Amino acid sequence: MYDVLITNGRIVDGTGEPAYAGDVAIADGKIAAVGRVDGEARQVLDAKGQVVAPGFIDPHTHFDVQLLWDGAAKPALEHGVTCVVPGNCSLSLAPLKAADRPTLIGMFQQIEEMPPEAFTQAFDWTWEDFQGYRDAIEKGLSINVAPLVGHSVIRLWVMGPASQERAATPDEIARMQDLLRECLQAGAVGLSTSFVDMDEHGHPVPSRYAQFEELDALSAVLGEFGRMLQIVPEFYDTDLTIARIDQLAELSLKHGIPTTFSPVFDSTLTPNNVPRTLARVEEQFARGARVWPQMQTRPIDISFSLLRPSLFFARLPRWVRILRQPLEPRLAALNDPDTVDKMVADLGPDGGEMMLGALVVRGGDAAPPELVGRTLSEIAKDRGEVPALALIRLSLENGLDVAFLAASRGHEKTERIGPMLKHPLVHIGASDGGAHLASFATYGDTGYLFSEFVRKAGALTLEQAVRKITAETADIWGLKDRGRLAAGQAADIVIFDPDTIDRGEERPAFDMPGDGMRYVRDATGVDTVLVNGQVAWRKGAYTDARAGVVCV
Amino acid sequence: MTADAPDEPVADEPVIVSAEIAAGHDGSAELVVTLRHPNGALEPVVMDGKLGLDLMQRCGAATLDDLAGRSWRDILGARVCTTS
Repeated sequence: MYDVLITNGRIVDGTGEPAYAGDVAIADGKIAAVGRVDGEARQVLDAKGQVVAPGFIDPHTHFDVQLLWDGAAKPALEHGVTCVVPGNCSLSLAPLKAADRPTLIGMFQQIEEMPPEAFTQAFDWTWEDFQGYRDAIEKGLSINVAPLVGHSVIRLWVMGPASQERAATPDEIARMQDLLRECLQAGAVGLSTSFVDMDEHGHPVPSRYAQFEELDALSAVLGEFGRMLQIVPEFYDTDLTIARIDQLAELSLKHGIPTTFSPVFDSTLTPNNVPRTLARVEEQFARGARVWPQMQTRPIDISFSLLRPSLFFARLPRWVRILRQPLEPRLAALNDPDTVDKMVADLGPDGGEMMLGALVVRGGDAAPPELVGRTLSEIAKDRGEVPALALIRLSLENGLDVAFLAASRGHEKTERIGPMLKHPLVHIGASDGGAHLASFATYGDTGYLFSEFVRKAGALTLEQAVRKITAETADIWGLKDRGRLAAGQAADIVIFDPDTIDRGEERPAFDMPGDGMRYVRDATGVDTVLVNGQVAWRKGAYTDARAGVVCV
Repeated sequence: MTADAPDEPVADEPVIVSAEIAAGHDGSAELVVTLRHPNGALEPVVMDGKLGLDLMQRCGAATLDDLAGRSWRDILGARVCTTS
């Protein structure tokens, strides 16, 4: 008697091999059989017309805090993601001394844009060490977690405030090594570090003060366990990124570790960035190094409001001048009819239709709900105004706290990005799930992979796309028994409609502690998600299953 | 540095030859300026929103086109601030 039997599915097993018709049997949280399966089961799921695949693995997230009150990392799980990697970019919630919590909260808020209540109301902060954090999240997981430990918090533990002032001494480095070793023994899957991140005061995070000798010493500890080093390089500069690739390659070869860096994204203004980056990666892999570039699938949007200056208007001198003023004179200018007439005239005879008409009003701020998701062109017509005037007046009517979105302004050329995603050395990831909460939705990148790059562009086959975010990811990260549909593997499984799987429209949600807002995207086309053999999501609803584990 | 420059006079230090707006990783508008080096090579430099606005102010630039011809040293004068 099996626990679960999935029948009549189109099996895409994660290896990249062609899909085939079959069943999947599950017992004791593991896959018991794949193919034509006879036998009875306590629960039968008919997958007719749907793909049955390994659960997706998201290797770059910041769900560290959310996991303490939401063990599903919503909405990641409903998109078919059965394992997330938090603790990226040098930041994790352990190890951390109680006295250092305010310091770390500031860093997290800078990156995640999470309300303070998330740290003070949503959970009891009882731990200091990594094992304590693991115990805290494991109580309620319905998704699997493969946590990184952050270099910045290790540094903060050992050096205190000096972690953001100077290089470490040999003794301090040795203590960091001991602490990292303890974290790896407690279930961390690697170390994350950053060369670009800032805290809420605009100061570099602790990891940025490390000399190479420190990273080398910590990588030696990673080598004892064969674990991952994740970094955020100076991604805005190709030459610096290439220099970091070379550093990672040296560490990978010297210590026998995998390494990964993110983000890597394409821009038509820097068209040689990704090709040069990948060329260096290819050279280093040819030497035997493992340096995996992580690339996101989703395009990058620009959002702004008139509350803060934005380069979005950098081609309009008058707008730049007015919007850079302090709030009081800025409001005075925007309320002055003569000034506004001139601002509107600056947009040309179409009143800004060409430049501003396609802007979309976002929600979650002071924007009237009925306008959320509509274009400025539509709103302007309803108001009997030109788009430029509608933008100004709509902003004024709502305290300037109305955000506008210019969609797909970067990493948006599918014909360029498809082949990049297909590249055998490109690691699909960098979703940033659980971060940038008030800026944009970091969920549904897997759905977008299938809708845009499999169905629409044909850049990858269904099997290739599944492999990229399942078996390949598990292999890169050394996650045992994950990422494939095969007997003996953990029963992390997603059942989806290959013709409809997608990400939904971005929408505001007020489900953060303290009624905090974030942008989310719902899943489309995902029927059922199983985590370690238990149904965690089915037909549009979460279940009570709590079968997630810290997986290594 | 990635490209050869068109046939134009070159300065004895890198200068900005063009500037455009791009989408940043964090969803903000960023500035991409192209520098021409004394050897004629062109190089893009990406700046976040704060740095880009500071550069425009430092250069007295009313619009992006006003940045053309400015020294690369003006970029150094603007404050660096970025996050992943």
